[in-house]
Amino acid sequence: MVHYLGQHPFGPSKVIRYGLSNGLTILLLLDKSAPVVSYFTWFKVGSRHEKPGKTGLAHLFEHLMFNETSSLKAGEFDKKLEESGAESNAATWFDWTYYHESVPKDRLALVIKLESDRMHNLVLRDAQVTSEKEVVANERRFRVDDDVEGAAGELLYKMAFTKHPYQWPTIGWMEDIQAFTPEDCEAFYKTYYAPNNAVVVVVGDFNEKKILQMMRDAYGDLPASIIPADDAYPEPPQTEPRTIEIKKPTATEKLLVGYHGPALGDADHAALTLLNEVLFGGRASRIYRSLVIEGEICTDLRAWASTFADGGLYEVYATARTGKTIADIEAVLYPEFARVREEVVTADELVRAKARLELGLLQSLETMGGKAEQIGFYETVLGDPSAAFQRLEVYRRMTAGDLRKAARRYLVENARTTIRVLPDGAATEPDKPEETDSDEEAAQ
Amino acid sequence: MSEPNVKEAGVSKATRATAGASKQASVARFELAGGGSVHISESHDVPLVSITIAFRSGSASDPAGKEGASKLAFRMLRRGSRTHTANDIEDELDRLGAELSTDVSTSSSAIHGQVIERNLGAFVNLLATLIAEPAFPIDELERLRRETLAELIEARDSDRSLAQQAFRRAVFAGHPYARSTTGSSKTLANITEDDVRAAYKTHFVQGNVALGFSGDIETSRARDLAERLAGGLAKGARVPDTVGEPTRALAKGRRLVFVDKPERTQTQILIGGLGTAPHDPDHVPLSVANAVFGGSFTSRLMREVRSKRGWSYGAYARLSVDKQRQAFSMWTFPAATDAPACIALELELLETFVTKGVTAKELSFVQKFLSRSYAFDIDTASKRLHQALDVDVLGLAPDYYDGYLDHLAKVTVDQANAAVTARLSTEDLLVVVVGTASELEEKVRTSIPRLDEHKVVPFDREE
Repeated sequence: MVHYLGQHPFGPSKVIRYGLSNGLTILLLLDKSAPVVSYFTWFKVGSRHEKPGKTGLAHLFEHLMFNETSSLKAGEFDKKLEESGAESNAATWFDWTYYHESVPKDRLALVIKLESDRMHNLVLRDAQVTSEKEVVANERRFRVDDDVEGAAGELLYKMAFTKHPYQWPTIGWMEDIQAFTPEDCEAFYKTYYAPNNAVVVVVGDFNEKKILQMMRDAYGDLPASIIPADDAYPEPPQTEPRTIEIKKPTATEKLLVGYHGPALGDADHAALTLLNEVLFGGRASRIYRSLVIEGEICTDLRAWASTFADGGLYEVYATARTGKTIADIEAVLYPEFARVREEVVTADELVRAKARLELGLLQSLETMGGKAEQIGFYETVLGDPSAAFQRLEVYRRMTAGDLRKAARRYLVENARTTIRVLPDGAATEPDKPEETDSDEEAAQ
Repeated sequence: MSEPNVKEAGVSKATRATAGASKQASVARFELAGGGSVHISESHDVPLVSITIAFRSGSASDPAGKEGASKLAFRMLRRGSRTHTANDIEDELDRLGAELSTDVSTSSSAIHGQVIERNLGAFVNLLATLIAEPAFPIDELERLRRETLAELIEARDSDRSLAQQAFRRAVFAGHPYARSTTGSSKTLANITEDDVRAAYKTHFVQGNVALGFSGDIETSRARDLAERLAGGLAKGARVPDTVGEPTRALAKGRRLVFVDKPERTQTQILIGGLGTAPHDPDHVPLSVANAVFGGSFTSRLMREVRSKRGWSYGAYARLSVDKQRQAFSMWTFPAATDAPACIALELELLETFVTKGVTAKELSFVQKFLSRSYAFDIDTASKRLHQALDVDVLGLAPDYYDGYLDHLAKVTVDQANAAVTARLSTEDLLVVVVGTASELEEKVRTSIPRLDEHKVVPFDREE
């Protein structure tokens, strides 16, 4: 049985909400700008739902889900999609996992069939699990073990969180990845891959009546699961700064700083996001201008507020130029943070920050896949598929005082964790640059 | 490989040509008075407008020893004009809700902008000033030179980038494609203010531009804005193309370049040689055959390396596309312990591909994949626009994109296999590995039969 559950404004359009009796949520946005359909299946399971010793299991599923089912041989899932001209992908993060296909509109029925099949009929044998564990181990090597920023980022969360499951990486610890058994996978699958833990978002050129009928036929008989209550321990307040120094084969020093920040649904999150634009958003922003352009202390400087269901981190990643040090960076960074705790930002800075965030939202809506991702993300994390537009309204109402309040609440030394990355000596001496070249795209 | 503007044949859906049968909004084209052109692709779904100012020339025009001059000239545009300081420009871009970036490759260059529709007029005013009246302030030039040098050092942290640089230098040794568009510490030091101004004067003439507008803009308004943008440039004809065809004589034999970097648990491996040119009669057949070999998630390379053995997260074969013949390459990144076996397997797979070709069943499958997924090559106004700009700027055949579906459907097994045999070599082959030489170089060397040359290059030094 398909139940109509209301609609949500989404810019000039609307998202229509339906539900099946087994708990599956369906969100539809009609868009006839191209003869294609984007189909996202979001599961409300991520690495926060794992247990110590079993980290990386949610992410391993992102791989396993492309394997054999009781009705499809190994490899057939990808073949059928490719034969239909589909683009497909998947992603896992702390709070969620999604699977995505974009197909020509006349291939929508195939996607519904394939997705409903793998939601319940996945076959988890030793051969598939062993092979995918090896692939994931290789993914970990290039994303973390051999990547300076990846390694520093993993360490930051490990140090900043002592109780909450955000302390372990989504890709998992290497020893955990290598120890998974088919039984571990089977238990996880039966618990979390169920219609009542999923949201299907469809954006594109479809017939609403037909799609609902197809979805009812494909998903209607799948059993609901008993989803365990959230078991995450709230992270206790951090009461003193934490710092660690690591050495890596890199030519320059790097600094990664994390302050405990608000959850995405917290009213402060929008204020901190706007403040971040004032301080680090582009070449005209306050600290970017000081550290990269005028001070010539950093080559790379980025900052962001994590968009998690529970409180995450406000992170700053800075790369020192040759001959410059982490101390040089900190000598600018922390006084600037002190300044925004004391003084309000200027009206012009606020106008620019709001315009940049509006541009970013519009850019994310240029494709059907982009729209579907926004809808699914906000539905999964906040329970509201149109929250992206509501945030834009919140940004518009924000005052300089709101930003200062956020700075005072979050940019405080005792809630700070710092990772200092130093060259291990294997790379070129910082004060003796060797000739080199590159076609890597330079920041503009 | 690593050149920012180099396209890809048969693999990347974002850049894949297709389309003839498209009945979606077409891209309008008009000629401008000074010899340039404008391409317009409307879409009123989201209130954003994208503007591309493309140039029919790139870093190939940089004088020898002054590699990087064109890129500096383009990056200097946002660092001062007759009426704006660098800070003024950045502040104004943010105020308008706009973004601006530049892109320089060997054969072409571009300025890309995007703005919230309500601020389009003000954005075009700013853009017109930046491209017509740049100031090239010396203090900003020195600042950018220092910034670029710092970025070059920072790029060494990326193993993939190191592999791409080594591959490009070796596979095109002696040809302009081997030159860096960014330059090196030595060439950047040689570039004077006059060199940067000269590079600007070379590229920024009316007959050398192709403008593009996509998004929430009417065609008539786009034409007016294009006239305004191009009209501010000096009069002048299209820059002559001096880049010739790379030949196999530049890259004979089997060669190994091992880029030595400490503490690598994983390798980056590129194996390949010369590939295809868009004017080749067998360009589409070769692209289609390559898609069978390594262009999708179910391709031979992915199946053997990742699906069966789990050795590498990704395993792809790629044919890059530029005005002249570009590279064919296989890309994998296995754990260091698996690297020798992975290289041996890739060489075997390539040998089988070149000597035995593809089967009728494989060809039929990939033709369905490429033709049905054509919808995603043209599903946004921006993608449609960039196809039109590619044709204009790179001098592609008029039906390169518009006739792709027809060309694709006509490819036979014999044509595909003849193209593979004619264009790809298993003997003139370059292997680039980024890894830790003390632990791996000898094992890699012995995994490559009939190796003619090998050398180890420290990751942080030029050869």
